[in-house]
Amino acid sequence: MSAPSVLTVPLESIGPCFEGMIPASICSCSREGTPNLTYLSIVHLLDARHVGLSYQFFNKTRANILENPQAQVLLVSPETLGQYRLDLRYVRTETEGPSFERMKIRLDAVASQSGMSGVFKLRGVDVFEVLDCRPVTSDFRAEASRRADYLPELDSFTERLSACGDLDSLLSAALETLSSLFGCPHSFVMFPDEEGKHLYTGASYGFEPSGVGSEVLIGEGMLGVAAERRAAVRTTSMTREMILTRAVRSAIERHGKQTLLAKEIPLPGLANAQSQLVLPLVVGNGLQGVLCLQDQIPGRFLATDERVLQIAARHLGVAISNAKAAVSASRKVALRRKGVLSKRSSVVKHYKSDDSIFIDDAYLIKGIPGRLLWKLLQAFVGTGRMAFSNKEIRLDAGLRLPDIKDNLETRLILLRRRLDERCEFVRLVHAGRGQLHLEVHRKLKLEELA
Amino acid sequence: MVVGTRDASLIPEVTRAWGLLVSKDRKSISLCAPLATSGKTLDNLAGNGEMTVCCCLPTSYKTVQLKGQCIERADPSRGDLVAVERHREAFGRLNERIGFPRERSETFWQRELESSPALIRLRFVPEQIFDQTPGPDAGSPL
Repeated sequence: MSAPSVLTVPLESIGPCFEGMIPASICSCSREGTPNLTYLSIVHLLDARHVGLSYQFFNKTRANILENPQAQVLLVSPETLGQYRLDLRYVRTETEGPSFERMKIRLDAVASQSGMSGVFKLRGVDVFEVLDCRPVTSDFRAEASRRADYLPELDSFTERLSACGDLDSLLSAALETLSSLFGCPHSFVMFPDEEGKHLYTGASYGFEPSGVGSEVLIGEGMLGVAAERRAAVRTTSMTREMILTRAVRSAIERHGKQTLLAKEIPLPGLANAQSQLVLPLVVGNGLQGVLCLQDQIPGRFLATDERVLQIAARHLGVAISNAKAAVSASRKVALRRKGVLSKRSSVVKHYKSDDSIFIDDAYLIKGIPGRLLWKLLQAFVGTGRMAFSNKEIRLDAGLRLPDIKDNLETRLILLRRRLDERCEFVRLVHAGRGQLHLEVHRKLKLEELA
Repeated sequence: MVVGTRDASLIPEVTRAWGLLVSKDRKSISLCAPLATSGKTLDNLAGNGEMTVCCCLPTSYKTVQLKGQCIERADPSRGDLVAVERHREAFGRLNERIGFPRERSETFWQRELESSPALIRLRFVPEQIFDQTPGPDAGSPL
Protein backbone atom coordinates (compact mmCIF):
# COMPACT_ATOMS: atom_id res chain seq x y z
CA MET A 1 0.00 0.00 0.00
CA SER A 2 1.46 3.35 -0.98
CA ALA A 3 0.01 6.51 0.45
CA PRO A 4 -1.48 9.03 -2.00
CA SER A 5 -0.43 12.60 -1.38
CA VAL A 6 -4.06 13.55 -0.80
CA LEU A 7 -6.68 11.29 0.74
CA THR A 8 -9.69 10.52 -1.46
CA VAL A 9 -11.90 11.79 1.37
CA PRO A 10 -10.20 14.17 3.85
CA LEU A 11 -10.56 12.91 7.42
CA GLU A 12 -11.67 16.32 8.67
CA SER A 13 -14.67 16.14 6.35
CA ILE A 14 -16.02 13.02 8.10
CA GLY A 15 -15.53 14.21 11.70
CA PRO A 16 -18.74 12.65 13.08
CA CYS A 17 -17.43 9.18 12.09
CA PHE A 18 -14.85 9.57 14.87
CA GLU A 19 -17.34 10.24 17.64
CA GLY A 20 -18.09 6.62 18.60
CA MET A 21 -21.79 6.84 17.84
CA ILE A 22 -21.81 3.83 15.53
CA PRO A 23 -19.28 1.04 16.14
CA ALA A 24 -16.50 0.64 13.56
CA SER A 25 -14.73 -2.57 12.62
CA ILE A 26 -11.05 -3.26 12.01
CA CYS A 27 -9.50 -6.03 9.95
CA SER A 28 -5.87 -6.99 10.55
CA CYS A 29 -3.92 -9.95 9.25
CA SER A 30 -1.39 -12.28 10.85
CA ARG A 31 2.00 -13.01 9.32
CA GLU A 32 0.62 -16.42 8.35
CA GLY A 33 -2.16 -14.75 6.37
CA THR A 34 -5.22 -15.25 8.58
CA PRO A 35 -7.44 -12.17 8.70
CA ASN A 36 -8.93 -11.06 12.03
CA LEU A 37 -11.92 -8.82 12.71
CA THR A 38 -12.87 -6.81 15.77
CA TYR A 39 -15.54 -4.20 16.44
CA LEU A 40 -14.31 -0.90 17.82
CA SER A 41 -16.37 1.39 20.01
CA ILE A 42 -14.47 4.42 18.76
CA VAL A 43 -11.71 5.41 16.34
CA HIS A 44 -10.00 8.64 17.40
CA LEU A 45 -9.07 11.26 14.84
CA LEU A 46 -5.59 12.52 15.77
CA ASP A 47 -4.76 14.74 12.80
CA ALA A 48 -5.31 14.99 9.05
CA ARG A 49 -3.33 11.78 8.39
CA HIS A 50 -3.48 9.79 11.64
CA VAL A 51 -6.01 7.95 13.74
CA GLY A 52 -5.60 6.36 17.15
CA LEU A 53 -7.01 3.23 18.75
CA SER A 54 -7.00 2.64 22.48
CA TYR A 55 -4.80 -0.19 23.64
CA GLN A 56 -6.19 -1.72 26.82
CA PHE A 57 -5.78 -5.47 26.46
CA PHE A 58 -3.32 -7.46 24.41
CA ASN A 59 -5.51 -9.07 21.77
CA LYS A 60 -5.26 -10.63 18.33
CA THR A 61 -5.55 -7.29 16.51
CA ARG A 62 -2.59 -5.98 18.45
CA ALA A 63 -0.55 -9.12 17.89
CA ASN A 64 -1.27 -8.85 14.18
CA ILE A 65 -0.36 -5.19 13.76
CA LEU A 66 2.94 -5.74 15.55
CA GLU A 67 3.93 -8.39 12.99
CA ASN A 68 2.07 -6.95 9.98
CA PRO A 69 1.34 -3.22 10.32
CA GLN A 70 -1.36 -3.11 7.64
CA ALA A 71 -4.99 -2.81 8.68
CA GLN A 72 -8.31 -1.54 7.40
CA VAL A 73 -11.10 0.14 9.32
CA LEU A 74 -14.72 0.42 8.21
CA LEU A 75 -16.41 3.56 9.55
CA VAL A 76 -20.04 4.63 9.43
CA SER A 77 -21.15 8.25 9.46
CA PRO A 78 -23.85 8.80 12.10
CA GLU A 79 -25.22 11.68 10.04
CA THR A 80 -25.39 10.45 6.43
CA LEU A 81 -24.93 6.74 7.28
CA GLY A 82 -22.37 6.57 4.51
CA GLN A 83 -19.47 4.15 5.03
CA TYR A 84 -15.75 4.73 4.61
CA ARG A 85 -12.79 2.39 4.34
CA LEU A 86 -9.59 3.63 5.94
CA ASP A 87 -6.40 1.89 4.81
CA LEU A 88 -4.03 2.06 7.77
CA ARG A 89 -0.42 1.42 8.62
CA TYR A 90 0.53 1.01 12.28
CA VAL A 91 3.21 3.56 13.21
CA ARG A 92 3.79 3.50 16.96
CA THR A 93 2.21 3.21 20.39
CA GLU A 94 2.13 6.34 22.54
CA THR A 95 2.10 6.01 26.32
CA GLU A 96 2.22 9.71 27.08
CA GLY A 97 1.52 13.02 25.38
CA PRO A 98 -1.66 14.96 24.58
CA SER A 99 -3.49 12.21 22.65
CA PHE A 100 -2.74 9.65 25.33
CA GLU A 101 -3.83 12.00 28.13
CA ARG A 102 -7.05 12.94 26.36
CA MET A 103 -8.01 9.32 25.76
CA LYS A 104 -6.97 8.30 29.27
CA ILE A 105 -9.16 10.95 30.90
CA ARG A 106 -12.11 9.89 28.79
CA LEU A 107 -11.57 6.19 29.55
CA ASP A 108 -11.03 6.83 33.27
CA ALA A 109 -14.26 8.85 33.39
CA VAL A 110 -16.29 6.08 31.73
CA ALA A 111 -14.59 3.44 33.90
CA SER A 112 -15.38 5.36 37.05
CA GLN A 113 -19.01 5.98 36.07
CA SER A 114 -19.52 2.29 35.32
CA GLY A 115 -17.70 1.11 38.44
CA MET A 116 -14.89 -0.46 36.45
CA SER A 117 -11.83 1.60 37.26
CA GLY A 118 -10.15 -1.68 38.13
CA VAL A 119 -10.85 -3.04 34.65
CA PHE A 120 -10.45 -0.30 32.06
CA LYS A 121 -6.84 0.84 31.97
CA LEU A 122 -5.35 2.66 29.01
CA ARG A 123 -1.97 1.09 28.29
CA GLY A 124 -1.32 3.10 25.16
CA VAL A 125 -2.63 4.74 22.03
CA ASP A 126 -1.88 2.77 18.88
CA VAL A 127 -1.21 5.39 16.22
CA PHE A 128 -1.94 4.55 12.58
CA GLU A 129 -1.06 6.50 9.47
CA VAL A 130 -4.08 6.77 7.19
CA LEU A 131 -2.93 5.77 3.73
CA ASP A 132 -6.30 6.47 2.16
CA CYS A 133 -9.90 7.09 3.11
CA ARG A 134 -12.46 6.04 0.52
CA PRO A 135 -16.25 5.94 0.46
CA VAL A 136 -17.58 2.38 0.28
CA THR A 137 -20.41 3.16 -2.10
CA SER A 138 -20.21 5.01 -5.37
CA ASP A 139 -23.02 7.40 -4.40
CA PHE A 140 -20.69 9.37 -2.16
CA ARG A 141 -22.42 12.36 -0.57
CA ALA A 142 -20.38 14.96 1.17
CA GLU A 143 -20.95 15.04 4.91
CA ALA A 144 -22.71 18.18 6.06
CA SER A 145 -20.24 20.01 8.23
CA ARG A 146 -21.51 21.29 11.54
CA ARG A 147 -21.59 24.98 12.05
CA ALA A 148 -18.38 26.14 13.67
CA ASP A 149 -18.73 29.92 13.52
CA TYR A 150 -20.39 30.86 16.80
CA LEU A 151 -18.85 34.31 17.11
CA PRO A 152 -22.21 36.16 17.31
CA GLU A 153 -23.45 33.80 20.02
CA LEU A 154 -20.20 34.02 21.98
CA ASP A 155 -20.37 37.79 21.66
CA SER A 156 -23.91 37.86 23.11
CA PHE A 157 -23.04 35.31 25.80
CA THR A 158 -20.10 37.32 27.12
CA GLU A 159 -22.13 40.52 26.89
CA ARG A 160 -24.94 39.03 29.00
CA LEU A 161 -22.47 37.75 31.58
CA SER A 162 -20.66 41.06 31.77
CA ALA A 163 -23.94 42.77 32.66
CA CYS A 164 -24.50 40.61 35.74
CA GLY A 165 -23.69 42.21 39.09
CA ASP A 166 -23.66 39.15 41.32
CA LEU A 167 -23.05 35.43 41.22
CA ASP A 168 -26.69 34.43 41.42
CA SER A 169 -27.76 36.45 38.39
CA LEU A 170 -24.57 35.44 36.59
CA LEU A 171 -25.41 31.73 36.90
CA SER A 172 -29.02 32.27 35.88
CA ALA A 173 -27.98 34.33 32.86
CA ALA A 174 -25.29 31.85 31.81
CA LEU A 175 -27.54 28.80 31.86
CA GLU A 176 -30.47 30.60 30.27
CA THR A 177 -28.21 31.93 27.52
CA LEU A 178 -26.68 28.51 26.88
CA SER A 179 -30.21 27.36 26.16
CA SER A 180 -31.40 30.29 24.08
CA LEU A 181 -28.21 30.90 22.09
CA PHE A 182 -26.51 27.52 21.93
CA GLY A 183 -29.53 25.21 22.09
CA CYS A 184 -28.51 23.52 25.34
CA PRO A 185 -31.83 23.04 27.13
CA HIS A 186 -30.50 21.09 30.14
CA SER A 187 -27.54 22.39 32.11
CA PHE A 188 -26.23 22.69 35.62
CA VAL A 189 -23.26 24.13 37.45
CA MET A 190 -21.61 22.30 40.34
CA PHE A 191 -19.23 23.87 42.83
CA PRO A 192 -16.46 22.21 44.83
CA ASP A 193 -17.01 22.09 48.58
CA GLU A 194 -14.60 23.53 51.10
CA GLU A 195 -12.73 20.28 51.57
CA GLY A 196 -12.33 19.77 47.83
CA LYS A 197 -13.94 16.35 48.11
CA HIS A 198 -17.39 16.89 46.66
CA LEU A 199 -19.12 18.88 43.96
CA TYR A 200 -22.57 20.17 44.76
CA THR A 201 -25.14 21.56 42.34
CA GLY A 202 -25.54 25.28 42.81
CA ALA A 203 -27.67 26.16 39.79
CA SER A 204 -29.53 24.31 37.09
CA TYR A 205 -31.64 25.00 34.02
CA GLY A 206 -34.21 22.75 32.36
CA PHE A 207 -34.58 20.25 35.20
CA GLU A 208 -37.66 19.45 37.26
CA PRO A 209 -36.93 19.16 40.15
CA SER A 210 -33.89 21.38 39.90
CA GLY A 211 -31.43 18.99 41.54
CA VAL A 212 -29.85 21.92 43.39
CA GLY A 213 -27.90 20.59 46.36
CA SER A 214 -27.19 17.15 44.85
CA GLU A 215 -23.59 15.99 45.26
CA VAL A 216 -20.98 13.88 43.53
CA LEU A 217 -17.49 12.95 44.68
CA ILE A 218 -14.60 14.74 42.98
CA GLY A 219 -12.65 12.10 41.08
CA GLU A 220 -15.66 9.83 40.71
CA GLY A 221 -17.85 9.47 37.63
CA MET A 222 -17.69 11.62 34.52
CA LEU A 223 -18.34 14.86 36.41
CA GLY A 224 -15.94 14.03 39.22
CA VAL A 225 -13.14 13.02 36.84
CA ALA A 226 -13.65 16.15 34.71
CA ALA A 227 -13.29 18.24 37.89
CA GLU A 228 -10.28 16.36 39.23
CA ARG A 229 -8.35 16.39 35.94
CA ARG A 230 -9.52 19.87 34.92
CA ALA A 231 -10.50 18.45 31.53
CA ALA A 232 -13.59 18.24 29.35
CA VAL A 233 -15.36 14.87 29.27
CA ARG A 234 -17.80 14.24 26.45
CA THR A 235 -20.21 11.41 25.70
CA THR A 236 -22.11 11.07 22.45
CA SER A 237 -24.18 7.93 23.02
CA MET A 238 -24.90 6.93 26.59
CA THR A 239 -26.92 3.86 25.59
CA ARG A 240 -24.11 2.35 23.53
CA GLU A 241 -21.63 3.17 26.24
CA MET A 242 -23.79 1.42 28.79
CA ILE A 243 -24.21 -1.68 26.59
CA LEU A 244 -20.45 -1.87 26.16
CA THR A 245 -19.61 -1.44 29.84
CA ARG A 246 -22.30 -3.92 30.90
CA ALA A 247 -20.99 -6.51 28.45
CA VAL A 248 -17.55 -6.18 30.02
CA ARG A 249 -19.01 -6.23 33.54
CA SER A 250 -20.90 -9.46 32.83
CA ALA A 251 -17.72 -11.09 31.54
CA ILE A 252 -15.78 -10.00 34.64
CA GLU A 253 -18.53 -11.43 36.86
CA ARG A 254 -18.46 -14.73 34.95
CA HIS A 255 -14.74 -14.90 35.70
CA GLY A 256 -15.48 -14.50 39.40
CA LYS A 257 -13.46 -11.29 39.56
CA GLN A 258 -16.08 -9.17 41.29
CA THR A 259 -13.36 -7.59 43.42
CA LEU A 260 -12.38 -5.57 40.33
CA LEU A 261 -15.86 -4.08 40.16
CA ALA A 262 -17.41 -1.20 42.04
CA LYS A 263 -21.01 -0.03 41.92
CA GLU A 264 -22.23 1.68 38.77
CA ILE A 265 -22.75 5.37 39.50
CA PRO A 266 -26.08 6.73 38.31
CA LEU A 267 -25.65 9.72 36.05
CA PRO A 268 -26.96 12.89 37.69
CA GLY A 269 -29.42 14.99 35.73
CA LEU A 270 -31.61 13.78 32.88
CA ALA A 271 -32.89 10.24 33.31
CA ASN A 272 -32.58 9.52 29.61
CA ALA A 273 -29.52 11.61 28.73
CA GLN A 274 -27.77 10.35 25.60
CA SER A 275 -25.27 13.16 25.18
CA GLN A 276 -23.27 14.86 27.89
CA LEU A 277 -20.55 17.46 27.92
CA VAL A 278 -18.80 18.26 31.19
CA LEU A 279 -16.59 21.35 31.12
CA PRO A 280 -14.38 22.32 34.06
CA LEU A 281 -14.57 25.96 35.12
CA VAL A 282 -10.95 26.72 35.86
CA VAL A 283 -9.11 29.93 36.61
CA GLY A 284 -5.37 29.52 36.96
CA ASN A 285 -5.02 26.25 38.84
CA GLY A 286 -8.19 26.81 40.82
CA LEU A 287 -11.34 24.85 40.13
CA GLN A 288 -14.35 27.15 40.25
CA GLY A 289 -16.77 24.36 39.39
CA VAL A 290 -17.98 22.31 36.45
CA LEU A 291 -20.57 23.10 33.82
CA CYS A 292 -22.55 20.06 32.71
CA LEU A 293 -24.69 20.05 29.57
CA GLN A 294 -27.01 17.15 28.79
CA ASP A 295 -29.34 16.23 25.96
CA GLN A 296 -31.65 13.33 25.12
CA ILE A 297 -30.41 13.31 21.54
CA PRO A 298 -27.35 11.14 20.75
CA GLY A 299 -24.47 13.05 19.19
CA ARG A 300 -25.68 16.43 20.39
CA PHE A 301 -22.18 17.50 21.46
CA LEU A 302 -19.49 16.80 18.90
CA ALA A 303 -15.87 17.94 18.83
CA THR A 304 -16.81 21.30 17.27
CA ASP A 305 -19.45 21.94 19.93
CA GLU A 306 -16.92 21.11 22.63
CA ARG A 307 -14.50 23.73 21.32
CA VAL A 308 -17.17 26.43 21.16
CA LEU A 309 -18.69 25.64 24.55
CA GLN A 310 -15.23 25.39 26.09
CA ILE A 311 -14.74 29.08 25.22
CA ALA A 312 -18.06 29.93 26.88
CA ALA A 313 -17.12 27.84 29.95
CA ARG A 314 -13.73 29.51 30.30
CA HIS A 315 -15.41 32.89 30.27
CA LEU A 316 -17.99 31.70 32.80
CA GLY A 317 -15.21 30.40 35.07
CA VAL A 318 -13.49 33.78 35.13
CA ALA A 319 -16.80 35.57 35.65
CA ILE A 320 -17.65 33.30 38.62
CA SER A 321 -14.22 33.92 40.13
CA ASN A 322 -14.65 37.68 39.75
CA ALA A 323 -18.19 37.65 41.18
CA LYS A 324 -17.05 35.71 44.24
CA ALA A 325 -14.17 38.10 44.81
CA ALA A 326 -16.46 41.13 44.47
CA VAL A 327 -18.73 40.17 47.38
CA SER A 328 -15.90 39.99 49.91
CA ALA A 329 -15.97 43.74 50.48
CA SER A 330 -19.26 44.45 52.19
CA ARG A 331 -20.75 46.29 55.10
CA LYS A 332 -23.00 45.19 57.89
CA VAL A 333 -26.66 46.07 57.45
CA ALA A 334 -29.38 45.19 59.92
CA LEU A 335 -33.05 45.43 59.15
CA ARG A 336 -35.70 44.75 61.70
CA ARG A 337 -38.79 42.69 61.08
CA LYS A 338 -41.70 44.49 59.52
CA GLY A 339 -44.81 43.33 57.81
CA VAL A 340 -47.37 40.80 58.93
CA LEU A 341 -46.68 37.15 59.56
CA SER A 342 -49.21 34.57 58.46
CA LYS A 343 -51.26 33.00 61.24
CA ARG A 344 -49.97 29.59 60.27
CA SER A 345 -46.87 28.30 61.97
CA SER A 346 -44.15 25.83 61.09
CA VAL A 347 -41.55 23.85 63.01
CA VAL A 348 -37.92 24.08 61.94
CA LYS A 349 -35.67 21.33 63.29
CA HIS A 350 -31.89 21.49 63.31
CA TYR A 351 -29.94 18.26 63.83
CA LYS A 352 -26.54 19.17 65.22
CA SER A 353 -24.93 15.89 64.15
CA ASP A 354 -24.91 16.87 60.46
CA ASP A 355 -26.44 20.35 60.53
CA SER A 356 -29.46 19.13 58.61
CA ILE A 357 -32.56 21.29 58.57
CA PHE A 358 -36.09 19.91 58.37
CA ILE A 359 -39.09 22.20 57.97
CA ASP A 360 -42.31 20.56 59.11
CA ASP A 361 -40.40 17.27 58.93
CA ALA A 362 -39.44 17.75 55.27
CA TYR A 363 -35.71 17.71 54.61
CA LEU A 364 -34.33 20.98 53.30
CA ILE A 365 -30.54 21.04 53.44
CA LYS A 366 -27.55 19.93 55.52
CA GLY A 367 -23.93 20.79 56.17
CA ILE A 368 -22.61 24.34 56.07
CA PRO A 369 -25.71 25.84 54.38
CA GLY A 370 -27.85 24.14 57.04
CA ARG A 371 -25.75 25.60 59.85
CA LEU A 372 -25.91 29.00 58.23
CA LEU A 373 -29.68 28.97 57.84
CA TRP A 374 -30.10 27.88 61.46
CA LYS A 375 -28.02 30.85 62.57
CA LEU A 376 -30.08 33.29 60.48
CA LEU A 377 -33.39 31.82 61.67
CA GLN A 378 -32.26 32.01 65.30
CA ALA A 379 -31.46 35.70 64.83
CA PHE A 380 -34.80 36.28 63.12
CA VAL A 381 -36.90 34.48 65.74
CA GLY A 382 -34.89 35.91 68.65
CA THR A 383 -34.60 39.55 67.63
CA GLY A 384 -36.61 39.99 64.45
CA ARG A 385 -33.46 40.69 62.52
CA MET A 386 -33.79 40.23 58.75
CA ALA A 387 -30.69 41.70 57.15
CA PHE A 388 -27.19 40.27 57.26
CA SER A 389 -23.91 40.82 55.50
CA ASN A 390 -21.61 38.23 53.99
CA LYS A 391 -18.72 39.71 55.93
CA GLU A 392 -20.28 39.19 59.36
CA ILE A 393 -21.24 35.65 58.39
CA ARG A 394 -17.71 34.96 57.31
CA LEU A 395 -16.33 36.33 60.57
CA ASP A 396 -18.83 34.50 62.78
CA ALA A 397 -16.75 31.91 64.66
CA GLY A 398 -19.92 30.09 65.76
CA LEU A 399 -20.59 29.09 62.16
CA ARG A 400 -17.24 27.27 61.92
CA LEU A 401 -16.90 28.12 58.23
CA PRO A 402 -13.87 26.61 56.53
CA ASP A 403 -11.17 29.08 55.72
CA ILE A 404 -12.10 29.37 52.06
CA LYS A 405 -13.89 32.68 51.75
CA ASP A 406 -14.79 32.32 48.08
CA ASN A 407 -17.07 29.41 48.82
CA LEU A 408 -19.53 31.31 51.01
CA GLU A 409 -21.25 32.89 48.02
CA THR A 410 -21.81 29.55 46.28
CA ARG A 411 -23.17 28.08 49.55
CA LEU A 412 -25.58 30.99 49.83
CA ILE A 413 -26.76 30.44 46.28
CA LEU A 414 -27.37 26.78 47.05
CA LEU A 415 -29.30 27.70 50.19
CA ARG A 416 -31.29 30.37 48.38
CA ARG A 417 -32.24 28.01 45.57
CA ARG A 418 -33.19 25.16 47.93
CA LEU A 419 -35.46 27.55 49.82
CA ASP A 420 -37.00 28.79 46.57
CA GLU A 421 -37.71 25.24 45.53
CA ARG A 422 -38.80 23.65 48.80
CA CYS A 423 -40.16 26.30 51.14
CA GLU A 424 -42.74 28.89 50.21
CA PHE A 425 -42.53 31.01 53.35
CA VAL A 426 -38.77 31.51 53.90
CA ARG A 427 -36.75 33.41 51.34
CA LEU A 428 -33.15 34.46 51.27
CA VAL A 429 -32.93 37.47 49.02
CA HIS A 430 -29.80 39.00 47.59
CA ALA A 431 -29.99 42.63 48.74
CA GLY A 432 -27.11 44.34 47.05
CA ARG A 433 -23.40 43.78 47.26
CA GLY A 434 -22.54 41.32 50.01
CA GLN A 435 -25.91 41.70 51.70
CA LEU A 436 -28.64 39.21 52.45
CA HIS A 437 -32.24 39.73 53.34
CA LEU A 438 -34.13 36.96 55.14
CA GLU A 439 -37.87 37.01 54.47
CA VAL A 440 -40.09 34.88 56.66
CA HIS A 441 -43.84 34.88 56.14
CA ARG A 442 -44.91 32.46 58.80
CA LYS A 443 -44.44 32.09 62.54
CA LEU A 444 -41.58 29.69 63.18
CA LYS A 445 -40.85 27.39 66.12
CA LEU A 446 -37.21 26.32 66.27
CA GLU A 447 -36.12 22.98 67.74
CA GLU A 448 -32.51 21.94 68.15
CA LEU A 449 -31.82 18.21 68.25
CA ALA A 450 -28.67 16.12 68.67
CA MET B 1 -22.01 -8.42 10.27
CA VAL B 2 -18.67 -7.87 8.54
CA VAL B 3 -16.40 -10.02 6.42
CA GLY B 4 -12.61 -9.81 6.49
CA THR B 5 -10.22 -11.02 3.81
CA ARG B 6 -6.65 -10.27 2.73
CA ASP B 7 -4.65 -10.12 -0.49
CA ALA B 8 -1.32 -11.69 -1.44
CA SER B 9 0.55 -8.86 0.32
CA LEU B 10 -1.44 -9.50 3.54
CA ILE B 11 -3.35 -6.24 3.13
CA PRO B 12 -6.74 -6.67 4.84
CA GLU B 13 -10.15 -5.68 3.48
CA VAL B 14 -13.48 -5.33 5.31
CA THR B 15 -16.93 -5.45 3.78
CA ARG B 16 -20.40 -5.68 5.23
CA ALA B 17 -22.62 -8.71 4.66
CA TRP B 18 -26.19 -9.77 5.31
CA GLY B 19 -28.37 -12.87 5.74
CA LEU B 20 -26.16 -15.47 7.38
CA LEU B 21 -27.41 -19.05 6.93
CA VAL B 22 -26.04 -22.25 8.45
CA SER B 23 -26.15 -25.26 6.10
CA LYS B 24 -28.33 -28.26 6.99
CA ASP B 25 -25.26 -30.38 7.77
CA ARG B 26 -23.97 -27.48 9.95
CA LYS B 27 -20.57 -27.65 8.25
CA SER B 28 -20.73 -24.48 6.20
CA ILE B 29 -22.15 -21.00 6.40
CA SER B 30 -23.35 -18.69 3.68
CA LEU B 31 -23.95 -14.96 3.56
CA CYS B 32 -24.56 -12.28 0.97
CA ALA B 33 -22.38 -9.26 0.22
CA PRO B 34 -23.18 -6.30 -2.05
CA LEU B 35 -21.44 -7.07 -5.33
CA ALA B 36 -20.41 -3.53 -6.24
CA THR B 37 -18.78 -2.77 -2.88
CA SER B 38 -17.03 -6.11 -2.47
CA GLY B 39 -14.71 -6.14 -5.48
CA LYS B 40 -11.48 -6.37 -3.49
CA THR B 41 -13.02 -8.92 -1.14
CA LEU B 42 -13.96 -11.16 -4.07
CA ASP B 43 -10.47 -10.79 -5.61
CA ASN B 44 -8.93 -11.74 -2.26
CA LEU B 45 -11.17 -14.79 -1.88
CA ALA B 46 -10.38 -15.88 -5.42
CA GLY B 47 -6.69 -15.58 -4.61
CA ASN B 48 -6.44 -17.38 -1.27
CA GLY B 49 -9.90 -18.15 0.17
CA GLU B 50 -8.99 -16.89 3.67
CA MET B 51 -12.14 -15.45 5.20
CA THR B 52 -13.36 -14.31 8.59
CA VAL B 53 -16.85 -13.25 9.62
CA CYS B 54 -17.75 -11.22 12.70
CA CYS B 55 -21.34 -10.95 13.98
CA CYS B 56 -22.42 -8.62 16.78
CA LEU B 57 -25.77 -8.24 18.53
CA PRO B 58 -26.29 -4.47 18.90
CA THR B 59 -28.36 -4.78 22.08
CA SER B 60 -25.71 -6.64 24.10
CA TYR B 61 -22.50 -6.49 22.04
CA LYS B 62 -22.36 -10.28 22.22
CA THR B 63 -19.98 -10.97 19.35
CA VAL B 64 -18.59 -14.06 17.64
CA GLN B 65 -15.92 -14.40 14.98
CA LEU B 66 -15.66 -17.34 12.60
CA LYS B 67 -12.49 -17.98 10.63
CA GLY B 68 -12.31 -20.36 7.73
CA GLN B 69 -12.05 -20.88 3.98
CA CYS B 70 -14.40 -19.61 1.33
CA ILE B 71 -15.44 -22.55 -0.83
CA GLU B 72 -18.00 -21.02 -3.17
CA ARG B 73 -19.30 -17.80 -4.66
CA ALA B 74 -22.58 -17.79 -6.51
CA ASP B 75 -25.73 -15.86 -7.20
CA PRO B 76 -28.01 -15.83 -4.16
CA SER B 77 -30.90 -18.29 -4.04
CA ARG B 78 -34.42 -17.34 -3.04
CA GLY B 79 -33.64 -18.71 0.44
CA ASP B 80 -30.61 -16.42 0.70
CA LEU B 81 -32.69 -13.38 -0.21
CA VAL B 82 -35.26 -14.33 2.43
CA ALA B 83 -32.43 -14.54 5.00
CA VAL B 84 -31.18 -11.11 3.92
CA GLU B 85 -34.67 -9.64 4.38
CA ARG B 86 -34.94 -11.30 7.80
CA HIS B 87 -31.58 -9.82 8.78
CA ARG B 88 -32.68 -6.38 7.58
CA GLU B 89 -35.83 -6.62 9.72
CA ALA B 90 -33.91 -7.82 12.82
CA PHE B 91 -31.25 -5.15 12.32
CA GLY B 92 -33.92 -2.42 12.31
CA ARG B 93 -35.86 -3.91 15.24
CA LEU B 94 -32.86 -4.42 17.54
CA ASN B 95 -31.33 -1.06 16.79
CA GLU B 96 -34.67 0.59 17.45
CA ARG B 97 -34.60 -0.94 20.94
CA ILE B 98 -31.41 0.97 21.70
CA GLY B 99 -32.68 4.28 20.39
CA PHE B 100 -31.63 4.10 16.73
CA PRO B 101 -34.84 4.95 14.84
CA ARG B 102 -36.14 2.46 12.30
CA GLU B 103 -36.01 4.98 9.48
CA ARG B 104 -32.29 5.48 10.16
CA SER B 105 -31.67 1.74 9.90
CA GLU B 106 -33.59 1.75 6.64
CA THR B 107 -31.50 4.65 5.35
CA PHE B 108 -28.36 2.74 6.29
CA TRP B 109 -29.62 -0.34 4.48
CA GLN B 110 -30.59 1.64 1.41
CA ARG B 111 -27.31 3.50 1.27
CA GLU B 112 -25.46 0.21 1.56
CA LEU B 113 -27.39 -1.40 -1.26
CA GLU B 114 -28.72 1.33 -3.52
CA SER B 115 -25.48 1.59 -5.44
CA SER B 116 -25.07 -2.16 -5.37
CA PRO B 117 -28.48 -3.84 -5.58
CA ALA B 118 -26.92 -7.09 -6.78
CA LEU B 119 -25.74 -9.44 -4.07
CA ILE B 120 -23.25 -12.25 -4.20
CA ARG B 121 -23.51 -15.33 -2.05
CA LEU B 122 -20.35 -16.48 -0.29
CA ARG B 123 -20.18 -19.93 1.28
CA PHE B 124 -17.40 -20.78 3.66
CA VAL B 125 -16.35 -23.54 6.03
CA PRO B 126 -15.55 -22.21 9.50
CA GLU B 127 -12.51 -23.80 11.08
CA GLN B 128 -12.29 -21.72 14.25
CA ILE B 129 -14.87 -19.82 16.29
CA PHE B 130 -13.99 -17.10 18.79
CA ASP B 131 -15.87 -15.15 21.41
CA GLN B 132 -15.33 -11.47 20.51
CA THR B 133 -17.66 -9.97 23.12
CA PRO B 134 -15.86 -7.02 24.76
CA GLY B 135 -14.14 -8.03 28.00
CA PRO B 136 -11.63 -10.57 29.29
CA ASP B 137 -13.05 -13.40 27.15
CA ALA B 138 -12.59 -11.49 23.89
CA GLY B 139 -10.56 -13.61 21.50
CA SER B 140 -10.99 -16.88 23.36
CA PRO B 141 -11.96 -19.91 21.26
CA LEU B 142 -15.49 -21.28 21.52
